Amino acid sequence: MKFFTLSSDMPREKQDQLLLLYLRLGAFLCFAGWAWVHFYWQAPYGVLLWHDNTFSFLQRFGITWEEFVGTGVGDGWVQMWSSRIGWLYLACAIISLTVRKVSRYQMIGLLGGSLLLVILTYAKFVKAQYQLPMFVEHGGQILIPVLLVFALFFGARHQATVNAAIIAFIMTFAGHGAYAVGFWPTPSTFYAMTTVILNVEYQAAQIFLYIVGALDFVICVGLFVPSIRCASALYGAAWGFVTALARPLAGMSLSLNYWGADQFLHEAILRAPHFLIPLYLFFFWKKPSSKPAHKTTKEAGEPAMTS
Amino acid sequence: MKLLKTLLICSIVTAITIPAASQQKRKTAKGRAVLAIPEVEKKDAICFALYTVSDGTLKLTAQLYPLAEDDPKEVRLEIEKGGSWVEVAKVNAIDPGWTAPFRVENWDDSKEAKYRVAHGDEATYEGIIRKNPVDKDEILVAGFTGNSIHPTHGGDISRQDIIDNVKKADADILFFSGDQVYDHFKHYAGWLKFGRDFGDIIKDRPTLCLPDDHDAGQPNLWGESGKISTLNGASDGGYSRPGVYVQEVERAQTSHFPDPADPHQIGQGIGVWFTNLNWGNIDFAVIEDRKFKTGPAGRIPKQGPRPDHILNPDYDSTSVDVEGAVLLGERQLNFLNNWAQDWAKADMKVALSATIFCGGAHIHGNANGRLHADMDSNGWPQTGRNKAISALRKGFAFHYAGDQHLATIFQHGVAEHGDGIWSFCVPSIANLYLRWWQPLEPGANREEGAPEYTGDHLDGFNNKVTNYAAANPEANPAGNILNTRSAGWGIVRLNTKSREITMECWPRNVDITDPASEQYPGWPRTISQFDNYNPPSWGKLGELSFDVEDPVVQLVDEETDEILYTVRANGKTFTPGAPEGKTFVVKAGRDTPDTIVSQKGKVGCAPQTVSLN
Repeated sequence: MKFFTLSSDMPREKQDQLLLLYLRLGAFLCFAGWAWVHFYWQAPYGVLLWHDNTFSFLQRFGITWEEFVGTGVGDGWVQMWSSRIGWLYLACAIISLTVRKVSRYQMIGLLGGSLLLVILTYAKFVKAQYQLPMFVEHGGQILIPVLLVFALFFGARHQATVNAAIIAFIMTFAGHGAYAVGFWPTPSTFYAMTTVILNVEYQAAQIFLYIVGALDFVICVGLFVPSIRCASALYGAAWGFVTALARPLAGMSLSLNYWGADQFLHEAILRAPHFLIPLYLFFFWKKPSSKPAHKTTKEAGEPAMTS
Repeated sequence: MKLLKTLLICSIVTAITIPAASQQKRKTAKGRAVLAIPEVEKKDAICFALYTVSDGTLKLTAQLYPLAEDDPKEVRLEIEKGGSWVEVAKVNAIDPGWTAPFRVENWDDSKEAKYRVAHGDEATYEGIIRKNPVDKDEILVAGFTGNSIHPTHGGDISRQDIIDNVKKADADILFFSGDQVYDHFKHYAGWLKFGRDFGDIIKDRPTLCLPDDHDAGQPNLWGESGKISTLNGASDGGYSRPGVYVQEVERAQTSHFPDPADPHQIGQGIGVWFTNLNWGNIDFAVIEDRKFKTGPAGRIPKQGPRPDHILNPDYDSTSVDVEGAVLLGERQLNFLNNWAQDWAKADMKVALSATIFCGGAHIHGNANGRLHADMDSNGWPQTGRNKAISALRKGFAFHYAGDQHLATIFQHGVAEHGDGIWSFCVPSIANLYLRWWQPLEPGANREEGAPEYTGDHLDGFNNKVTNYAAANPEANPAGNILNTRSAGWGIVRLNTKSREITMECWPRNVDITDPASEQYPGWPRTISQFDNYNPPSWGKLGELSFDVEDPVVQLVDEETDEILYTVRANGKTFTPGAPEGKTFVVKAGRDTPDTIVSQKGKVGCAPQTVSLN
């Protein structure tokens, strides 16, 4: 644990490296989780690809129906490209670990990864019948590669990085809260996980979700109140961790093949940004080092919004 | 550097503008229906009513629009007697769902009766409780499935053609096999819309609506006795929506069913509704083929990109038939085994369920998505599927179902092709999701001139099936034209005189009384009741001649004491079929097989005259 937390006597440079590590880890786990979905399960592009309009568009380039959807025996464009995208996610996961301040092409790759996550989220958004929170709550995942690039390019404490992290935080928790409170129909899995994990009846789950949904909004506002932003970020980290972990916790069982890990574990992994971005903000605000860094690094950038 | 900055800005702008733009677009999108509960005047507070009559009990459920807080909650059921309305029952409407379930014991089903549901001083809703059509030779059951209301595939097109045709055909029973409501969050609003669309035919005849996966608020349903599902797609088994939601759905759709055969609740306080309905001398078993079924995720070796889909055609089909996986479950199998033996007031037997007992499609989706096997079908688990067919064929039951979005006729096989029951899967009212029956190899033993997709096949689970018809949609169908998507509905004519079963499959928007109107290719088809258990390998025992009309005959394996089948003979003679090389105790009786006719019945044994007087 000591390796992943900041202490007041830790040199500033080291602190910045750890802040960067949270973002690096978040990006890696997010891409790795989605890569698993692409290779092992099915990414949610079906709603966009199996579409008359998509085919009509491709027809302009001379692609036939059989080439598009396959012959029924062999794969078509739809099947081939769905799985090939998984390699891009895997590459992004690796880049998340290898990217350095000077790695311009890798940074561009990560931003491309962010666009991939936008497309993926858009597919989920369409599948969810254009429910706005479905897109918004993926903000943390979409922006984690951007945050990593910002942290490397501008510095982990640069205002741009921190502001982007705040946007990512708000998108994640406001989107989640909008569902939990019931501004949009609360997803069935929210009730199911609450009921299973807490062993409560539906009515109690309803009240619980309403309260935690309201708290999601409270902590979003709390980020802008200096006296409680640390607590808000810490709560966000804890709640983000719990909600990510809820999937395997509710679904895994000793009676299932691999204990159900292949079904549920990646659901927690790809949600790593939901707790690592708040954790980044928490440690950024919590304890600014009183000691000057041994050597000023450009990577650290200018401090911003420190308490 | 500039490129990097540009990309950064693009990423953020895209992240914000895409959902915002789509939200704006959504407001004008015409693909999805707007499902809202209309405000109605107090006199129109009752939307529709459904009923069944069985074993002298009338059960009628009135469906109300939302009542205001100060409105009376009491709802009355009145019957017209001698020109005036007489109250026979009253209940308080149940919220959530605003259903008013009535029960009237000692109902005289030999006469037709006019009924009226009344609420407050103004609202009334009238209909007819039919008399039990025991004097009719032919009982007509109109069958439906998949009631999508979304405009993208013609769901917004009026159902008036169906209403008109059902009235012209004068159906005796309506059977909605599932997915009456597709909205996963607003069943009540969807159910009221269903009532507005179909209430005009429902109010005057017994109706059975089987809540299926979408009604329960999820894309597929493996109920696992009421477990809570936490996996997207619900293939881990159980219900996605809270138990109270499912209870409300089942109260709305099934509280007018005859009492359940085994009423113990399952998990989350969810009830059961599997039962039988005896109407016009037809004994209908109403089966819940989703409620007890095991979810496949994590139980079977992964075979495709979804836990419930098998893409690899070379997989070992026995690897997914895992021990402990349930289809109908012991409670329903016990019910079916008893039901198959009970021929009181029954000439024929029909099983009604959501879907058919095989993987009845090869191509899934709105394109050429070949799927080797789909665990949402009742082809899986194979052991459970074989148990279900074995139970049903013991009563020569015909199987009527839906759900597949693809009309088919199959004869199911267990040990050999053609040794099980026949099934008719009706087409969707409006087809949300397309499927095709398109085997890669031509079927064996096809009828002369029949399409290559017919004949003997193995489905994706290696179950033996014989296809006789499939109403495949066009390869790339036009969006909202119903019939290029093979939308439609079915009629089954059950002739208690000839013991014939005729299946009809009608497209939408045709007049079924017009001789020029055509059914989907492959329909109509007529089979005998006795085709539902007539394995090709069987031989015949000697003819039995009785001194009474239509006795009930039962064959019991002498060695194992297991009942081979029980059936009501047609007329005074019956020639039992049976497997070669086995000996059977043959029993018979007027309504129950309580007289031993022969202790050593065998294929090829001598004819016998039997007195049951």
